[in-house]
Amino acid sequence: MTDLLTDPESVRPTRAGSTVEFRGLRRAFGTTTALDGLDLEVRPGELLALLGPSGCGKTTALRTVAGFERPDTGEVLVDGEDITRVPAHRREAGMVFQSYSLFPHMTAIDNVAFGLRMNGTGKAARRARAAELLELVGLANHAARFPRQLSGGQQQRIALARALALRPRVLLLDEPLSALDAQVRLTLREEIRRLQQQLGITTLFVTHDQEEALSMADRVAVMRAGRLEQCAPPAELYERPATAFVANFVGVMSRIPARPGADGTTVGAFGRTLPVHGTLPGPVGTDGGSGEVDVLVRPEAIGVTADGDGTSQIVGATFLGATTRLTVRLAGGAEVMADVATHSTAGLPVGAKVTLTLPDRPVLVDRHSWGNGGRSGG
Amino acid sequence: MPLLLFAALAFGLPAGTMVFGALTTPETVPGGARFTGANMSASLHGPYLTALLGSVKLSALSALIAAVIGLPVAHAVVTSRFRALRESVLAGAGVLANFGGVPLAFAFVATLGNAGVLTTRFHLLGHGWNLYGFWGLTLVYLYFLIPLMVLTLAPALEGLRRQWREAAHNNGASTFRYWMHVALPILMPSLLGGYVLLFGTAFSAYATAAAMVGSSVPLVTMQIADALSGNVLVGQDNVALALGVDMVLVAGLVMAVQVPLQRRSTRWLA
Amino acid sequence: MARLNRTGYGRSAVLLLTGAYFLVPIACAIAFSIGIGAPRQALGFEAYTGIFGADGFTDSLTLTLKLAAATIALVLVLLVPALVTVRLAAPRLRTLVEIVCMLPLVVPAVALVAGISAVLRWGPDHFAGTPLFQAMAALQAPQFPMVLVLAYTLMALPLAYRTLDTGFAAIDLRVLVEAARSCGAPWPHTLIHVVLPNLRGALLNTAFLTLALVLGEYTVAAVLGYQPFAVWIVATSGSQAQMSVAVSMVGLLVTWMLLLLISAAGRARRPKENS
Repeated sequence: MTDLLTDPESVRPTRAGSTVEFRGLRRAFGTTTALDGLDLEVRPGELLALLGPSGCGKTTALRTVAGFERPDTGEVLVDGEDITRVPAHRREAGMVFQSYSLFPHMTAIDNVAFGLRMNGTGKAARRARAAELLELVGLANHAARFPRQLSGGQQQRIALARALALRPRVLLLDEPLSALDAQVRLTLREEIRRLQQQLGITTLFVTHDQEEALSMADRVAVMRAGRLEQCAPPAELYERPATAFVANFVGVMSRIPARPGADGTTVGAFGRTLPVHGTLPGPVGTDGGSGEVDVLVRPEAIGVTADGDGTSQIVGATFLGATTRLTVRLAGGAEVMADVATHSTAGLPVGAKVTLTLPDRPVLVDRHSWGNGGRSGG
Repeated sequence: MPLLLFAALAFGLPAGTMVFGALTTPETVPGGARFTGANMSASLHGPYLTALLGSVKLSALSALIAAVIGLPVAHAVVTSRFRALRESVLAGAGVLANFGGVPLAFAFVATLGNAGVLTTRFHLLGHGWNLYGFWGLTLVYLYFLIPLMVLTLAPALEGLRRQWREAAHNNGASTFRYWMHVALPILMPSLLGGYVLLFGTAFSAYATAAAMVGSSVPLVTMQIADALSGNVLVGQDNVALALGVDMVLVAGLVMAVQVPLQRRSTRWLA
Repeated sequence: MARLNRTGYGRSAVLLLTGAYFLVPIACAIAFSIGIGAPRQALGFEAYTGIFGADGFTDSLTLTLKLAAATIALVLVLLVPALVTVRLAAPRLRTLVEIVCMLPLVVPAVALVAGISAVLRWGPDHFAGTPLFQAMAALQAPQFPMVLVLAYTLMALPLAYRTLDTGFAAIDLRVLVEAARSCGAPWPHTLIHVVLPNLRGALLNTAFLTLALVLGEYTVAAVLGYQPFAVWIVATSGSQAQMSVAVSMVGLLVTWMLLLLISAAGRARRPKENS
């Protein structure tokens, strides 16, 4: 690996843009199934976020690439090559852990140089390379500090530098920001993205924070119970969630009680008949026919007009900046969230009677859930 | 604070008397108590010196063996998936390390003494086995030193984060190199601190050797007790006190090494 | 997980070997005490059944238990207020308290007893006829030698300090006390009803480790010429070897059981506090 150092100016990995492929990955811990047949392909040079609630298997998937977990069945391919049986220390995957992963008895620069020391790089060469990486993460003047003398954000930058030191084929980030303060999280988020794009390194990013995933990733893979629900670019995930689970997990959804159409391809809500995106859930006819499904709509897609004869009523308003989120009680008692531009709320005071309208496009439909209309994702 | 008062009285009085006695002649001799270095120098000559060196040698060696064995044992116990095993071993270690040497000495006498179960069954005496010699005593000492080491190391081993091992592997280190470059350096203060504690414990142990009547190993603790009870020579009280001062000096030296090490380790593992 | 299995075997081997080292002597000792393996001795449990009838057993055990109770009480009375003060009012005294509590580690029991016996021997010459003389005599009363309690308390300080300090570290004492005080609880009330219950595990642990120490303590008592439990065992070993071994084993196993019970009790409470 000495060729790494022939050009110290270049921090670009020599093998930019590897592919990673999960094929039918299964892993069970005792009675809990962490991965239940995961199939997923990561494209060269992209940042793919693995998003899902805790326990959905996203961390297990990441650790399978790093070699800390062996799948029961299935395989992991990097650049088309099966690495399932390769031991962790020969994986050429750089990993950043959630927290506290720096070796406490080494200075920042020694931490970064650790991998180079392991592969036998000479002392001068590895110090030069480590210094260059510290420069890259903006901590060149903290080289001699010990981890306990660094803030959480600085520690994670050092960990990032250490993960990049060996020019790995894949960068693995296991919730690297979740232990940090909100402000630091935002800056580091941008910085990781900038570095990743600059280096063009294929990156897997595990997070349970949907906002983080949407803002950073090229594509987001939403996982649930060890399986892939949907993998799509952020905008597509938000605009056209493939399943009700994705819709609820990513962003906020308002649930509007609706009446399934007789043919199973339409629903009726607010006096209109809308085509169904996907299929109607469950055996509609058996549990009583009408009123058993919800239509899922983004709050900003719901139109609100003041209407003295309206059957709905505004019961609450939350100022969000440019928009204001209104809570509207429907005639049937269900509550729905709708976002309206703040400048138009003058005519929509709390207590006002209103009429709600839906956009004219196919809608997602889920089994009816009793309770309040919307829920926030994450 | 009553604690400080208590310590000053219950501790300071004997300690002061000890130092004073060690540096003076007995009052019974003509001329009364005078300052003298004779006791101290006597305590560092002849059989007393042999005993002091014997104690140091036995303590140093048994503590070393206990530390070397204690590390893998503590690791195996701490990382065990069976909580019942972990808890019972740690509780057992607490008992063995604190209960003192008498029952342990008897257990070994019954097992490997001249009439012990294993000695008679395997005719060990014919093979030159002697529980009452240096190695026999070392074997008995290990019986409470290893548990003490396990107790000392357990918190440090629990403080070793999984991320460190994984980060090391992730950076291309094999398991062996992980231990050499990461785990052992991090544990080193605890290991050294534990060693020092073990040395001190072995050094000040008296009950074990005393209960194994007939031990032929000269130990400084035995010498002190003998001198105090007038078993050897009458009028050696002040030499006994001088020996006590010697022991305090050795133990003090040992603690002076241990305390900073402990500090460093807690800082790393916090 | 192939790798885990391999380390699993290594772990089992280590545990088996050390397990053998620690169990064989105990097994042999028990075998010895019931007459297996030792020549010229009949098989039977006389060594155990005869324990209570043995000369001096009840006396020495009673003495030891009384000493243990007094030592535990003294240790706790000295340490708990000191630790509370250090944590709440005078954090700068912390190092001093720590050093004081660790001092006994530097002074081996034998050296301590050498000093004590010197004090006891010289005292009467100098203080004859004064009230101090009476006090010294009371300290050495054979029915209840207070001097042993003092020595044991000193010897128990390092261990007790560490155990209690860990216990204090696990609770947020300041918040607890301030909450209790703001609810109108007076100081003694706060200490007894708020602080101590939260330290239950650490207190029990301290008490039982001190008990183990007093039960097994031989050096100080033997040199000063008293005969509590451990000294009695050694004294008995000359004439009744089997019984002394039997008593030792019972003592070890009972203490172990007690410690296990405590750790189980401590664990049973923990999940509730965590969630």
